[in-house]
Amino acid sequence: MMRWDFDKITQEAIKEITACDDLKNLEALRVKFLGRKGLLTEVYSSLPTLSAEEKPLVGKNANNFRNKITSLLDERRILLENTSTDIVAETLDVSLPGIAAPVGREHILSQIIEEICSTFENLGFVVQDGPEIETEFNNFTALNIPADHPSRDSFDTFYLETPDPEQKDRNLLLRSQTSPVQIRLMKQFKPPFAVVIPGKVYRPDAVDASHSFVFHQIEGLLVDEDIKFSDLKGLLTAFCQRLFGEKTRMRFRPHYFPFTEPSAEVDISCYICDGKGCSVCGRKGWLEIMGCGMVNPKVFEAVKYPKGKYTGLAFGMGVERMAMLKYGINDIRLFFENDVRFLKQF
Amino acid sequence: MKLSLNWLNDFVRHGLLPEKLAERLTMAGHEVKSIDEIAGDRVFEIEITPNRPDCLNTLGLAREVSAIVNKPLVLQKLKTIKIPKTLCSVTIEDRSACLRYVGAVVENISIAESPIVVKERLQAMGVRSINNVVDITNYGLFENGQPLHTFDYDKLIGGKIIVRRAKAGEKIVTLDGVERQLNPSILVIADAERAVAIAGIMGGQDTEVTAKTKRILLESAYFDPVLIRRAGRALGLTSDSAYRFERGVDLTNVDVAAKRALSRLLDFAGGNIVNYRDVAVKKTVTQKQFSVDMKGIGHFLGTNISAVQVKKILGKLDFKVSGKGECLKVMAPSFRSDIKGAIDISEEISRIIGYDRLDSSLPQIKPSAIVSSERFQLKRKLRRILTAQGLDEAISYPLISRGAIEKTNVADLPISRVKNPLSLDQEYLRPSLLASLLAVVNLNFNHGQKNLRLFELGKIYPPAGEKEVLGIVLTGNRPQNWQINKKETVDFYDLKGIVVRIFETLGFDLPTCVLGKKTIDIVLEKEKIGFLGKVSKDILKNWDLKSDDVYYAEIDLEKFYKLKPQIKRFVSLTDFPSITRDVSIAVKQDVSFGQIESLAREIGSTHLIAINFIEQYLGEKIAAGQKGLVFSLLYQSSQRTLTEAEIAPIHEKILQRLSQDFGAVIR
Repeated sequence: MMRWDFDKITQEAIKEITACDDLKNLEALRVKFLGRKGLLTEVYSSLPTLSAEEKPLVGKNANNFRNKITSLLDERRILLENTSTDIVAETLDVSLPGIAAPVGREHILSQIIEEICSTFENLGFVVQDGPEIETEFNNFTALNIPADHPSRDSFDTFYLETPDPEQKDRNLLLRSQTSPVQIRLMKQFKPPFAVVIPGKVYRPDAVDASHSFVFHQIEGLLVDEDIKFSDLKGLLTAFCQRLFGEKTRMRFRPHYFPFTEPSAEVDISCYICDGKGCSVCGRKGWLEIMGCGMVNPKVFEAVKYPKGKYTGLAFGMGVERMAMLKYGINDIRLFFENDVRFLKQF
Repeated sequence: MKLSLNWLNDFVRHGLLPEKLAERLTMAGHEVKSIDEIAGDRVFEIEITPNRPDCLNTLGLAREVSAIVNKPLVLQKLKTIKIPKTLCSVTIEDRSACLRYVGAVVENISIAESPIVVKERLQAMGVRSINNVVDITNYGLFENGQPLHTFDYDKLIGGKIIVRRAKAGEKIVTLDGVERQLNPSILVIADAERAVAIAGIMGGQDTEVTAKTKRILLESAYFDPVLIRRAGRALGLTSDSAYRFERGVDLTNVDVAAKRALSRLLDFAGGNIVNYRDVAVKKTVTQKQFSVDMKGIGHFLGTNISAVQVKKILGKLDFKVSGKGECLKVMAPSFRSDIKGAIDISEEISRIIGYDRLDSSLPQIKPSAIVSSERFQLKRKLRRILTAQGLDEAISYPLISRGAIEKTNVADLPISRVKNPLSLDQEYLRPSLLASLLAVVNLNFNHGQKNLRLFELGKIYPPAGEKEVLGIVLTGNRPQNWQINKKETVDFYDLKGIVVRIFETLGFDLPTCVLGKKTIDIVLEKEKIGFLGKVSKDILKNWDLKSDDVYYAEIDLEKFYKLKPQIKRFVSLTDFPSITRDVSIAVKQDVSFGQIESLAREIGSTHLIAINFIEQYLGEKIAAGQKGLVFSLLYQSSQRTLTEAEIAPIHEKILQRLSQDFGAVIR
């Protein structure tokens, strides 16, 4: 009679190994079965004492047992290694915050400017900028704003004490719109071009929750020999759908700007309520987001482009307004106060 | 502008529900802001753009509606009146300020209440009914846009009307009971002795029509828009009349409106017209005829529109259109001074049709003749680099107060002043970004936020100019986390690290820091391109900042923009081992690490590939006036494995020269 019932031993070993869910215990099992003082060693060391009949049979059974257990142990080890939470699981509070290098935030206005500019860059535009201190010619005259227009009054435009080199008896001013950069670029370059121009503009408005004497605008200008009003609609629709989502519906409302003709204000379907009417859109379902139009031929005249050769489209939008709409910010002063609790929110 | 739908119905049968009509008007360029219900009437509040003063009345808007819905416009006929030949005394002294003045004297009038319909309509317009005479003038204004005024004729001294500039020191008590100081920039209506009205803006109390009035003088005039606007602004006074004069009334309507008012006057208040006078520098505006090529317009709009449709639309808007086929001759009505050429016609047509019904296309955008601004691109990169250093971006007010400049000790810098500041807080263009950023620090300190890492890419303004700078502010503790939570305050080296990191990341040559008079200069190729340092105690005190450690750096971006990155060449990765030798020395405090570094590099030559600074020690264990420096030297060759025997003489020589040249003691 054989001293070892290999079938039984194997069954029990399999049971123990498959029940083991810890690498430490698995190692203990390995030692128990295959180790120097383990079961198998005991079997092998007893082989010389066995009869010539028994010897090959026990040897064969022992080898089978070793192969079977070794592969089982390996399998189990790999499984446990992969699923194991390993290192001292009992002291790890996984709900504690992780540690990362400190990171700062771009100002929310910079983020919006970036988003808008890069959207236009993807549509084939380039980004340009220009000075904040301007001449009356660039800020008004060249943009077809009449000499006696109210916006030129000191109630509506900041003037500096510095005289305007282009015009005696006039002073330099802080631009009240980004449009003078259009004039600067057109004086310097011939079409075709497609530019967007972000920047600060100034208007003497008393500071309160919805007014600021300085704010940011983004201006766009596309001039070529054959730009059409339909292009204006198509381009701005493409822009708004990229920025606010593909389902955004557009509304072009006729409006008046001296430097464009025809002119329009652009409304988008409210992206909060999808046009059904909510508190963000004042129950109208529409949000007014920019002004636009076809460049008035008077403007081309002012920059001395050949008469009738070019047409163009222009548009402009307020960055603070965009940010306020997008994030529900209710006070324009927050943008310029730079409370870090505000800066870190975006 | 308010629009009463009941009143509108007198002029045009549009057949639309109020909400639909509001949408159509909005989409034709007259945005309906709200719809109110007033005494059985629906009243629109409409935003009229400044180029369309002709729509600041019911008739004007009715004309628009008639074009939009393609229905006829009907102007209610009034009883014709007989205009007497006898004149009243009207003199225009300032003929550039008043192009036309119609005066009419009516006798034996009975002041009474207005008919219900007049009262209701004025109520819809938000105007209080006063009496039949005054109401008729307001009714006329809201009906056809011509402001009218009535004087008690018996109170006009000498029975005269003189349109002139106010005299210096002249005063008038206006209808609102306020005494107003006048000056020669203001146009007035005067009798033989005194100003009796501020022209176009408000009448005077002395000549007001009252219950006792028996004779009145009706005024219908055209005043210069700019003059009226400036006078209104100077006096801080506006009115429905002034609002219309400022934007320009229709010169040809001045007498028409007067006659309509007189007809109503006789109807509601009785009496008879005894004098009439129409003094006109100009009676009408001559509109130019121009040609409109329908093909050209179709091409420009990207949508083809038929000439027939155009004729119909323009006809409804009172334009004169002639010509056949694709080429039309067009003349705008006198009240459309905004129409100057074919381009304006394209807008008229498209807004009446509706922009939403025009085609949409994507433009073919060709490569621009203008290249992208390098400044903008570089600022993009700076934002990325600085936020990665844990700095938050600030955008502060560029206009600041004298006080802020003085508190920042930059009052000696030349500055630009705004001529017409809104308040003393925004009087100057900042000469330094620090002044703006300290205000930001102050605000955050007041909210208990003491650990600040901020930057701004902003402009500073030397007289008549502007330049971009980068300002960086650090204060409070270094960033911590819950595993390393010993509190360490930021210092100069934190700021230097950030500054150098900018140049490093952009691939520029690295700048050096040079001790200047008040600050530490950031120098690159012998040119100062910025400065950094600790904000002085007195500035912090001026700003009431309870901290000793506020650090500030400013980089002149105008100079920065001119820098070019180094041309990078790949360096092959060597597999040969390196040898590191730590060095610990004591030297006099005036010996800089920079000196030691360059000496070591000189001797170490190509085998010395890196010098890593480890520690500076200034404690008790070192002699007074001395400092301990620890750094490591890394030797490596890309050709072969360096042996100890090769390195030893080089290393020994470095140590020897350090003690020889700088009196360094090896520790």
